[in-house]
Amino acid sequence: MQCSVSSLSLSPAVKSRLTAAGFSLLSELQGLPPSQICAEAGVSQQEALQVLQAVRGSPVRIAPPLTALQLLQEEQQQRSIISFCSQLDAALGGGLPVGKTTEICGAPGVGKTQLCLQLAVDVQVPVCFGGLGGQAVFVDTEGSFLLQRVQDFAGAAVKHCSLLVEDDEQRVAMTTFNVETILSNIFLVRCHDYVELLAELHLLPDFLSEHPRVRLLVIDSMAFPFRLHFDELSQRTRLLNGLAQQFIAMASSHHIAVVITNQMTTRLRGSQSQLVPALGESWGHAPTIRLLLQWAGTQRLAVIFKSPGHPGSTVEYQINSDGFRDAVQSEQPPSKRPRTHTIQSAAGQRDSNQSAPGPRHCS
Amino acid sequence: MVVLREGMCPGLDADLLRDLRAADIKTVEDVVSSDIEELAQRCSVSYKALFAIRRVLLAQHAAFPVSGADLYEELLSSTAIISTGSPSLDKLLDSGVYTGEITELSGGPGSGKSQVCFSVAVHVSLHLKQSVIFIDTTGGLSASRLLQMLRAETSDTEEQMEALQRIHVFRLFNIFSLLDCLFTLRSGRLQQACVGGGSVKAVIVDSVSAVISPLLGGKQNEGMSLMIQVAGVLKTMAKDFNVAALVTNHVTRSESGGVKPGLGVSWSHIPRTRVLLERREGGADSSLRSATLIKSSRQPCHIKAEFDLQSWSRSKEGSSGKRKLEETDS
Amino acid sequence: MTESGAQLFARLEARRCLEDIETRLFPGDGGPEHGEVVELYGSEGTGKTELLYHLLSRCVLPLGAGGLEVDVVFVDTDYSLDMLRLVSILDSRLNAARSFSSSGSDEEVLGSCLSRLLVVHCSSSSQLLLTLHFLETTLSSRPGIALLLIDSISAFYWLDRSEGGTSISKQEEKLSKCAELLGRLLRDYRITVFATCHAIRRNYSGPSSFSSSSSSSSDIDRPYLCRPWKRLVTHRLLCSRQETTNMAAPAAGSSEQKSQQVFTVHCTSSSSSKTKSYRSSSFCVTDSGVEFI
Repeated sequence: MQCSVSSLSLSPAVKSRLTAAGFSLLSELQGLPPSQICAEAGVSQQEALQVLQAVRGSPVRIAPPLTALQLLQEEQQQRSIISFCSQLDAALGGGLPVGKTTEICGAPGVGKTQLCLQLAVDVQVPVCFGGLGGQAVFVDTEGSFLLQRVQDFAGAAVKHCSLLVEDDEQRVAMTTFNVETILSNIFLVRCHDYVELLAELHLLPDFLSEHPRVRLLVIDSMAFPFRLHFDELSQRTRLLNGLAQQFIAMASSHHIAVVITNQMTTRLRGSQSQLVPALGESWGHAPTIRLLLQWAGTQRLAVIFKSPGHPGSTVEYQINSDGFRDAVQSEQPPSKRPRTHTIQSAAGQRDSNQSAPGPRHCS
Repeated sequence: MVVLREGMCPGLDADLLRDLRAADIKTVEDVVSSDIEELAQRCSVSYKALFAIRRVLLAQHAAFPVSGADLYEELLSSTAIISTGSPSLDKLLDSGVYTGEITELSGGPGSGKSQVCFSVAVHVSLHLKQSVIFIDTTGGLSASRLLQMLRAETSDTEEQMEALQRIHVFRLFNIFSLLDCLFTLRSGRLQQACVGGGSVKAVIVDSVSAVISPLLGGKQNEGMSLMIQVAGVLKTMAKDFNVAALVTNHVTRSESGGVKPGLGVSWSHIPRTRVLLERREGGADSSLRSATLIKSSRQPCHIKAEFDLQSWSRSKEGSSGKRKLEETDS
Repeated sequence: MTESGAQLFARLEARRCLEDIETRLFPGDGGPEHGEVVELYGSEGTGKTELLYHLLSRCVLPLGAGGLEVDVVFVDTDYSLDMLRLVSILDSRLNAARSFSSSGSDEEVLGSCLSRLLVVHCSSSSQLLLTLHFLETTLSSRPGIALLLIDSISAFYWLDRSEGGTSISKQEEKLSKCAELLGRLLRDYRITVFATCHAIRRNYSGPSSFSSSSSSSSDIDRPYLCRPWKRLVTHRLLCSRQETTNMAAPAAGSSEQKSQQVFTVHCTSSSSSKTKSYRSSSFCVTDSGVEFI
């Protein structure tokens, strides 16, 4: 079985012209002058050039394979975005991974947006503090981006880092790490409906190329623009599946973490009802990591529902005026300790990757 | 269809080609299905010459019949069965994933599809010392997870690194690059791609539905055609290079709450063996999964097995998560 | 076309008729005669393949083991021929026959069965067309060939649909040509053709939709291949799976219950000599292949 013309990334009309003219295999088109393709297939000069480009391009389009060893090295170099909730970071193996897509699902008010805002601040923690020193793109579809909260989170993060300053490098870094720069490094995009969202996501790769420091893309939320306005459910599924592939392509080619929030919906199963993430069954495959935030009485729990690299686990968290934090537990040292612990554990994680991962990271 | 070109076979020169075109004979199919006697007169060539051309063209482009006995002999010597690393899953699959055919794993999010893929990859690279092609279309491949699985199997760091080097990863996020990659592998690069790592025993596509499902639906046939092409190239590759093709698929849910593999009726004929993976009822972070065989030519269908994702990561020192151990025991 | 005397003799000498290939399947005494086409139609998991292997093994098994001892050409367009499964069916039938009469060693008999089978793989509809042309010489040189199996005739449906663009006649061009050629081969060489055809859903309504087999069965069961092919088909075997109650609790079900998955075949015959006739039969699948109930 040889590569056929219909597998080329061309418009269906051009492809059917080519096959009508008898070209069915790529090898038949190779080495033909464009004029001959025009004459035989009845396509325009420009289309013929596109055809030849698609034919010639094929060996180059595919990057040579990486071995899993190279991939491992790549993964170890890529840092994660810490969440300031040490338990969650530990469960995810050092924080939210860059280069992957993560979905945060949860009922209203459980803290999805808060976690996103926290991440948008955390991604900017300077490198010498174990952060990424990056920028964030925040696509807001619900109008839930609260500037006041970001300011609070930023203030808390700056204060936290200033307490950790030990050497000159960190002292220098602190001069540019303040609430103002943090706010200026978050690019906010407001989308009102799914068409705007689609358009924005289409333009985003160019924006990311121009802003190579961006390490985080937040879509808050995915569910809102896609919950209404669809006569045909299959069209929505198709669009969503296409977006899922765009996200993962962006995440891996621009080395960014993509974070998507999703609402919960009720699924009836016979007489029982069950709370499940919205947007349907097939969307569930879109994110690489799926995080469920839920209430358990007065406690808030984060459940790793799926992650190829980590087993499922449940951690408790809280949201206070400083942001998204570890829950205050009896066995956990209270107040400032957890925060210091967070950054240290993240730093420790990187070191340990070279030798052997810590037990928490490992299983 | 194959367009007639000068020099395709002896006797097919520019003059004859022009005459044939004038008689509206443009492709090999046209030559083969036309009445040679009549065509010879119209193109003023000898019947004998044209008949010879037809025979050569047929021999070039038709597939040759092989005796069933030879095919069986070849099959017996070349078929291998690859363990999935989970005894219960192996039992379900009649001792593992067979080479030469497509095996499909379907299941909802977090049902353990990728984990089974990882385990197969680890098994082939570590125990069989053969290469694996891993095509990741969802960004779900985690090399540290592979390393973790390897650590559970062997403590020799060198062996772990060698095994990782035998797993070749492509990250492709749309169908055109997937097809391109598969065709390139199909055309002989498969064995070349992995120099020094032994021959390729498995091609894993995780997941095949992620790139296909955005194209399905609507009025266009293109998506269907691309899907069938992916299936075709995987099948021929599995057969000709004698590798196991392992693909993952998502599931769709009916109104009654039952699940079935995605990609529709046309895809359902493609895999030889299909397994449906499901989470066991219980906590959201339980590591127990159940597998149901829904299509097989070797085993009765609808038999079930259970397996534990934890068993792949539990190293010699034992697991650290107390919670999970309790759940596993219960 | 020139034809040697031997070839002419081979062509005109009556090939083994397959009328009695499976009396439990076809209505009345009307099995497929010379030059007739049987289509096995059904969706995934309805026993098409098992039925095909059953018919195939009946053809290639020696007379002593209840076979017809004829040669078969298997055109595998789906790359789906499972040799191991076929051999296990043949093995169990040979074993069953051996208890009555002893003949040759196991390996030898099996080898001779398999050598009656010719397999050819095709990966595109144009290759199928060319291969059918090519097979003409095989047919004329081997008078033992009585059956041509195509698994499946619908394999390239979507590829052809897409390549043909907007014109229906372009979309169906290649299969029509194959059907015309088959028609000629059937007349000239008096063979019988068995072909499988996969059920598809033409109006694909998205991955989120689910069709329960009862509600949309009429759409699923309708033939969709081109007219020349439809005209060729004289017998249509519609395969379906009986919905069993043990589907709901397969884990709890005993092994006996599981093996009792029952398949139903509904045969519609409309050969030229007779009027339309119907017959339904049921079978279940065991390790040794199809067993009619």
